[in-house]
Amino acid sequence: MSKTLIVAELQNGAPREAALELITQARGLGGELVSLVIGSGVAEAAEDLAKRGGGRVLAADDAALADYTSGAYAQAIRRALDQESPDLLLLSNTPIGWDLAGKLAAALDAGVATDVVRIEQEGDDLVFIKRMFNAKLDSRLRVTGSPRIATVQPGACEAYAGSDAGSVESLDVSGCGSRTVFKELRTAAAGGHDLTKADLIISGGRGLQKPENFDSVLKPLVEALGAQMGASRPVVDSGWLPHEYQVGSSGQVVAPKLYMAVGISGAIQHLVGMKNSNFIIAINKDADAPIFEVADLGVVADLFEIVPALTEAVSAAKGG
Amino acid sequence: MKILVCLKQVPHKDARLDIAGHGTWIDDANLKFEINDYDNYALEAALRIKDAGEAEVIVATIGPDRVVQSLRTALGMGADRAVHVKDEALEGSDSLGVAKSLAAIAAQESPDLILTGLMSDDANYGLTGPMLAELSGLPHATGIVSCEHAGESITVERELEGGALEVVELPLPALVTVQTGMNEVRYASLKGIMQAKKKPLETKSVADLGLQASDVAPKVTIEKIYMPPKGEGAEILQGSAAEVSQQLVTKIKELGLL
Repeated sequence: MSKTLIVAELQNGAPREAALELITQARGLGGELVSLVIGSGVAEAAEDLAKRGGGRVLAADDAALADYTSGAYAQAIRRALDQESPDLLLLSNTPIGWDLAGKLAAALDAGVATDVVRIEQEGDDLVFIKRMFNAKLDSRLRVTGSPRIATVQPGACEAYAGSDAGSVESLDVSGCGSRTVFKELRTAAAGGHDLTKADLIISGGRGLQKPENFDSVLKPLVEALGAQMGASRPVVDSGWLPHEYQVGSSGQVVAPKLYMAVGISGAIQHLVGMKNSNFIIAINKDADAPIFEVADLGVVADLFEIVPALTEAVSAAKGG
Repeated sequence: MKILVCLKQVPHKDARLDIAGHGTWIDDANLKFEINDYDNYALEAALRIKDAGEAEVIVATIGPDRVVQSLRTALGMGADRAVHVKDEALEGSDSLGVAKSLAAIAAQESPDLILTGLMSDDANYGLTGPMLAELSGLPHATGIVSCEHAGESITVERELEGGALEVVELPLPALVTVQTGMNEVRYASLKGIMQAKKKPLETKSVADLGLQASDVAPKVTIEKIYMPPKGEGAEILQGSAAEVSQQLVTKIKELGLL
């Protein structure tokens, strides 16, 4: 029988959604489930996780683990691995997960698959399904190692919603430390461009080709519809628009009545930030762009033809 | 100060991706390649430290002959010398095989700081940096958007989710992986490109690094790579720009937004 150890991340002292999704993944594979909760004063979170399907929950509770540091967290996970010898170690593909997965794999000389969306049992082996090339292609991976390690993309499956009774035990993590020193958490400068309350957002991507086109091509449509302007990450990375315009996992997460994606291919990090919009229209010249998978209506055409025509049609409709 | 920047050459962002006949990777026969975007920002961060004081910047990459072009570009941007690891044993290698090769270079060079991108734009694993740090016994931080160097340590901001940043101090030597958008990446000047031709570029085999083929054998293999199955997807509107616009206006009115 196989055994899976999951690292359950906490947020505001409770298991985060991504942790409950790892439970779904692990339970889908069957076998024994052990969950690891790391932090300081995590007894309540561990109890909570045990009640929400986490199985046997190990609480790694120590003042030195109060703030995340790669060194101390990796040591805590190594203690759990030594004690449990699982066949599979699952982390979430989050800033903590991607900080730790490679470090642990190298230390254990084990194979690791990251940003996995699905794990399939095939005979005695596991197959890991992962997006590549910024979601343009999918791959099936075979991984060897003891344990095999994977990070799972948040949102790839439903959070486990059962309430199976589990148990909690404490894991000895005394003496875990790190050479990296946590200083503080900061919020990126907020700016005045709050997209989270907008009803209509029109976002531009790299397809607009140059910063001036945001003013000359996109802005007239934004103004005609009384919308708010957003942008994809590459636009912000290139300095065409400030960070406060960025929609995505590292920018603003939005759910307007209408989201219009113009010249945006739809990298995962962008989709995470807008896929819950009530209605999505995508305009892109590449018919295979992942954005069309989440859109309700799509236009496969040159945005430099469609956007001015649409602006004109909107103005005409308002005038009529 | 000595800085090692690890680069990967990847297919151009806008390249059309076709699956190769064997079905386990893309057909790279007629592709245009470029330096991985994340790695460009890592190189720029290193060059800025060099510009601010005394530093030697070494760039390293792994791959077939075509990757030399990317190393020359990096030298043209201002790196001082380059190391190219070329070996059949590394074809089809995984992140750990790559990290082991880079760790051997790091052991030979003893850099004070190693910089690389958060992930590559092709396989999107995001593993090489943290693996290299572990194998080299260095503290690390991933996905940084700023880096301040003071004496024997660096202070970096890691990008978390939803606009949050984590400030972390690392004693040197250390390794950091860089998020896109950290800085404004320079172009190689004509003068830089001319100078790059005279800068040292070493080619090394796995054996030169003190490794055997079995050391870099993959633990992760791609069984198959394929176009994602199409879901229901969007209803695609047909017609001229004017016709399509009318349909969109109708929809926007239905949604009560016009």
